[in-house]
Amino acid sequence: MRNNKLKTAAAIFLLGLLAVPLYFTSTFVLHMFTLVFFYIALTAAWNIPAFGGKFSLGHAAFFGLGGYTAAILYVKLGISPFIGVVAGTFVAMLGGVILSFPLVRLKGPFFTLASIAFAEVLRMVAVDWRSLTNGSVGINIPFKPSWLNLTFTSGAPFYYMALGLALLVIGLAWWIRSSSLGYHLRAAAADEDAARALGINTAKAHFMGLMWSSGLTGMIAVFYVFYNYVLEPGTAFSMDLFSLQPAMNGIIGGMGTVWGPVIGAIIMTPLGEFLRFYLGTIQQGLNFVVYGLMLIAVVNFVPGGIVSLIEPWFKKKKSGDSSAADN
Amino acid sequence: MDDLLVVKDLTKNFGGLAAVSEVSFEVRRGEILGLIGPNGAGKTTLFNLISGLLASDRGSIKLEGEDLTKKPPYKRSAMGVGRTFQVVRPFDMTVLENVMVPTFAHYKTSKEAKEKAFEILKMVRMDKLADKMPANLTLAQRKRIEVARALATKPKLLLLDEVLAGLNPTEVAENLPLIRQVRDSGVTILFIEHLMDAMMAISERVLVMDQGVLIACGTPDEVTSDRCVITAYLGEEAPGC
Amino acid sequence: MELIVQVCVSGLLLGGIYALISIGLNLIFGVVRIINFAHGEMVMVAMYLTFWLNYFFGMDPYVSTLIVLPVMFLFGVIIQRIIVQPIQNSSANMKIFATVALSLILQNVALIVCKGNFRTVQVSYGMGTMEWGGIFISIPRLVAFFAALLSISLLYYFLKNTYTGKALRAIVEDHTIARLMGVKVQKLYLLAFGIGCAFSALGGVLLMPFSSVYPTVGIPFTLIAFIVVVLGGLGSMGGTFLAGLFIGVVEAVGGTYVSPALKEAIYFGIFIIAILIRPQGIFGKGKGSEEVGLK
Repeated sequence: MRNNKLKTAAAIFLLGLLAVPLYFTSTFVLHMFTLVFFYIALTAAWNIPAFGGKFSLGHAAFFGLGGYTAAILYVKLGISPFIGVVAGTFVAMLGGVILSFPLVRLKGPFFTLASIAFAEVLRMVAVDWRSLTNGSVGINIPFKPSWLNLTFTSGAPFYYMALGLALLVIGLAWWIRSSSLGYHLRAAAADEDAARALGINTAKAHFMGLMWSSGLTGMIAVFYVFYNYVLEPGTAFSMDLFSLQPAMNGIIGGMGTVWGPVIGAIIMTPLGEFLRFYLGTIQQGLNFVVYGLMLIAVVNFVPGGIVSLIEPWFKKKKSGDSSAADN
Repeated sequence: MDDLLVVKDLTKNFGGLAAVSEVSFEVRRGEILGLIGPNGAGKTTLFNLISGLLASDRGSIKLEGEDLTKKPPYKRSAMGVGRTFQVVRPFDMTVLENVMVPTFAHYKTSKEAKEKAFEILKMVRMDKLADKMPANLTLAQRKRIEVARALATKPKLLLLDEVLAGLNPTEVAENLPLIRQVRDSGVTILFIEHLMDAMMAISERVLVMDQGVLIACGTPDEVTSDRCVITAYLGEEAPGC
Repeated sequence: MELIVQVCVSGLLLGGIYALISIGLNLIFGVVRIINFAHGEMVMVAMYLTFWLNYFFGMDPYVSTLIVLPVMFLFGVIIQRIIVQPIQNSSANMKIFATVALSLILQNVALIVCKGNFRTVQVSYGMGTMEWGGIFISIPRLVAFFAALLSISLLYYFLKNTYTGKALRAIVEDHTIARLMGVKVQKLYLLAFGIGCAFSALGGVLLMPFSSVYPTVGIPFTLIAFIVVVLGGLGSMGGTFLAGLFIGVVEAVGGTYVSPALKEAIYFGIFIIAILIRPQGIFGKGKGSEEVGLK
């Protein structure tokens, strides 16, 4: 019975989300919703290796690879971004293959360091390889509105695409977590040796997790880049925007859970925009000080993230219901 | 005699110190083989070498004639070597999920894995606690999860590392028949134990290690009357050992 | 031919400073067992202190060490006490989050207080060079190199020959046993963090006469220091020193012969290759590297 109620609530909620562009014609509100969905998708994708306890601070690498691939194909060769999405996903996964070497060989902190170094190297290459990337000037996506060009005169199509991406990645994350890969990653996160002794090829599990994560990040990047019309090394491979931000959303929401990244992105994206626009104009950098303090607070007081505060309440309700049914 | 596991000249050094030194023995199919020795004798290192968590420096390990000396742990597990850990290491998930982790090797969907895991929990009489988190259970119960998890890999040989240590006498009496029951279901058992009475009660043969060397092997009676073994435990000098 | 010698010499001299900063990290890493992602920010803060002392009081950078080093020692002690100590028993990931947060805060406080401008200290010897066999050697870099060599030797002597130094080394070897032996671990953590911080600060001060400071100047130092520690081996002073020089030379050679924009890409590349081929470090590893995640 409860399940039905939940399903109805979810359906109404989803319909509400679908109707948002009809009610809010303000570009700011629509932009905010779109941004939240993009970050839900990016954070949920970032979070997949975190099922296995691996914490990346270099996901901007996959973002940049995906975005640059599609943009270069489109601007230089006139290839539709829809093919670019496939190519971008694939190239980002190739990046994932490279980063998987340190992923498999190194434990926690050293993988994190390698991931930072990896993204930084790619950023420098993007600056230096002018013939391909236009260097630090970047690439502008020409404004030629058409479905085939993934360019639109209104914000609504991107709103729906971002919503679709968010739902897709949450769904995939949920599916991965409840499949054998998810169990293997969680076992590896808890105790790598015990998992190996139980017959789990932990290296393969970590590798598969990173493949999903890098591919999805590259795919989301293509849409994000076309939404913004422009990309340059400083933003596409940005430590702040696409390495730190998803990580921060994930940690504050609850790393390694399905709903943590969603909660984190929903709270942090508007907060980040608010801090950037209001505090940022008063004082540049203040938003990151606030982020830093929040992060320290989370580490000290709610190491499981916000989701760990909500979960027990939810579980209690659930078990309360089932015991009521037993009686 | 049908040998399931044959270990030959197995050696492992830690920075010049021989933790396991030229150890050779065989495990017969269907037996319960005990492994005893004072602290630091190299028993757990031997388990780590057999399960593959440590790479050996020299020697070979063969299961049913197949060499697994160079194989990674997960392959050894697939070939039939299961183990538990001395310090229980349940994953941070429910009891049922803990057992589901290894069942995925044999069943692809989570529904099948769940059913199989539940069957195993029934066998170790933990099915009533399936939805609990291991952190909230007693040590005896957590040790049963270890055994259940190892059984879920469908081992031919099960390495049990002190599954009775730290339990009170009632719990020992409850967990002891479990070992026999597992053997009777067709699993060969090699186990480390400090509780002598328990060990002698259920093992058919006993290996004795001291300072990385295998010093005796035989039935419980033979071993307890062996002069070298007594020396190793009492620490007295005995010529010829 | 002369160019390559010239490039190697300036790389070696710069490498001395890298070694200094990395030894600070190695000490914190080995003793406190924390991956300090804010290590480069210690260098940054020290550089700003040097700049201000010069800007407001006209103090010579080398003289300002007398103030900057004690202040930074204290800074390190405070960070250990306030940020690190409360999460000592948390998971490795929590420690990363905390120090990443610290680096974010320090960078952006610097941005707020000092704005994003590049700041330099004007000293008469800043551009001074001396010629030796056709090779030009920058005087402030030469000073930096010898100051690094001297302070590393002093630290080495301290660790080898004093009771406290031996206790610190015991902790690097084995935490549990050191605790059992009655070593007052918490106090030594504070000390190690302070010393590590002061060493990085010295690196920052020595850099000031010939380079500029800005809020994000520390990021590459964090990465360089980790590369050096990984290459040199945890707990190995000599290894860290040699690895520091090596990275300095690699940076100089790469910047000259490949592309200045890619010099960092080159040593990040070396870092990734090195940890893949020999994660235990080129000059051997210390005990406890397993514990902090270095296989």
